[in-house]
Amino acid sequence: MTFTKLSLDRSQVRRYWELVQILVERNLKVRYRGSLLGIYWSLLSPLLMTGLYTAIFGATFASYYDNSITNYLLAAFTGLITINFFSASTIQALKSLVDNGKLLNKIKLPFSIFPLSMVAANVFQFMVGSLPLLVLVTIFKTGLSLKIFAILIPFSSLVLVCSGVGFLVSSLYIFFRDLPYFYELVVFILWISSPVFYPSAIVPDQVKPFLALNPLSPIIEGFRQISLTKDPLNFLIMAQGLGSGLVVLAIGWMVFRRFRHQFIDLI
Amino acid sequence: METAEPVIHLQDVSLWRRTQEELSYDLKKTVFSFLEGTYNKPRKRLVLDRITLSICRGEKIGIIGANGSGKSTLLKIICGILQPTQGTVHVKGTIAPLIELGAGFDDDLSVADNVLLYGTLMGFPKAVMKQKMQQILEFAELTDYAYVPVKGLSSGMAARLGFAIATDVNPDILIIDEVLSVGDEHFHRKSQQRMNELWQEHSTVIVVSHNLKFIADACEKVLVIEHGKSVFFGTPEEASQLYLSQVGVEYAAENSLYSQWDHRSLKI
Repeated sequence: MTFTKLSLDRSQVRRYWELVQILVERNLKVRYRGSLLGIYWSLLSPLLMTGLYTAIFGATFASYYDNSITNYLLAAFTGLITINFFSASTIQALKSLVDNGKLLNKIKLPFSIFPLSMVAANVFQFMVGSLPLLVLVTIFKTGLSLKIFAILIPFSSLVLVCSGVGFLVSSLYIFFRDLPYFYELVVFILWISSPVFYPSAIVPDQVKPFLALNPLSPIIEGFRQISLTKDPLNFLIMAQGLGSGLVVLAIGWMVFRRFRHQFIDLI
Repeated sequence: METAEPVIHLQDVSLWRRTQEELSYDLKKTVFSFLEGTYNKPRKRLVLDRITLSICRGEKIGIIGANGSGKSTLLKIICGILQPTQGTVHVKGTIAPLIELGAGFDDDLSVADNVLLYGTLMGFPKAVMKQKMQQILEFAELTDYAYVPVKGLSSGMAARLGFAIATDVNPDILIIDEVLSVGDEHFHRKSQQRMNELWQEHSTVIVVSHNLKFIADACEKVLVIEHGKSVFFGTPEEASQLYLSQVGVEYAAENSLYSQWDHRSLKI
């Protein structure tokens, strides 16, 4: 498989890339049936939720956001697009290997292309859907500056986390077919424990260390630091985000590699 | 025809596989069985037992054996889908597997998109598949259906499409798992003709079939597998006799039976 050998020849890399590309295309085509507008459908959920949270919690929590309901709304929006990206891409990656079991039993293919192409399809969706909105928010809050490009740092951290979790859950699903049920719980826990719709200041000090374990927290904070504040780039938060991305990817890939040779017997 | 050079070489290939039937497949049950101390390590079964096999360029090889003897598993080892537990596999050149036609199609995608998907997965650059598209659709007689999702095709049409793609790729090694005839009588003839053409070309062919008459006519050498062991590799006549004595059927009687049946009904 591709990541194991460092000395890869070009044609292998090209083949790998072509495989991922064709699978991403397939995912998007099946999902949207040729209508590009369909991609914007994916924005419906985060926008609706932002509205809902703002209506319910906005007035109460505004004091933590410089007494501005708009600030609360933007904070909720940045949190929601992150958590949405995470849950959509990992839940799709989870089933990717088992769903393509017939294919894997017929043609020799690298296993890793299936979870990766699910994450990649969501990256594309993010690029045309949420990202332009996030850029608009950034310009609205902080004016035009080079800082806009820094959005790519927490975003790549997010992609790393999702790829790692995608590798992990897609391989575990082969062994445990009731995993989706448990994984939904995990996603819910991560969601509640990320400061998406509440200010992290309201969390009791004894609980805070546990919430720091959430790999999504530094990523959400990273998005907010870039898009919602005029402060110079906070390198510590960016590094924390990238660090948690790399750690999660390493764990996911190690599990994937460890069990890879057992996959084919069970799918 | 050059025959000296082996394109496929298997040396002492053994394969242990986990048996799916006893797998709990369940996190909840696994956790409880751990807690109750009833957890058993999954058992493994020896599916292939020290198989050594050399196939030269251009040879047409048949594989016969009872159901569950390991024929399809051996093909998967040659294709690289399964890795042997012990032993080594060397394969030179591209392999096109013709196993269960159409199993890799995505129902929701159009016929044209499926041609691109299938071809790319089989290892062809997308640009090449785009060039071949017209030719493949014409052979499958599905030009009018290019933008119809595959779920809108009849099963015969889908099989025609699978056959057209898999046989249009000119592989060095063609692997056929009990799928030789497809579609209605008209297409059946057409596919037979294409199979004949493939046969005439230089490609190396490995075919698994229960149709002994076909194997005897089409193959130069036949491998007989019994319980994962290679028990014979040689002329088709001897192989058929050995296989039939194994399963306990008289050669002559069986032969006449096979010629009456359409081998389409003899899928594994």
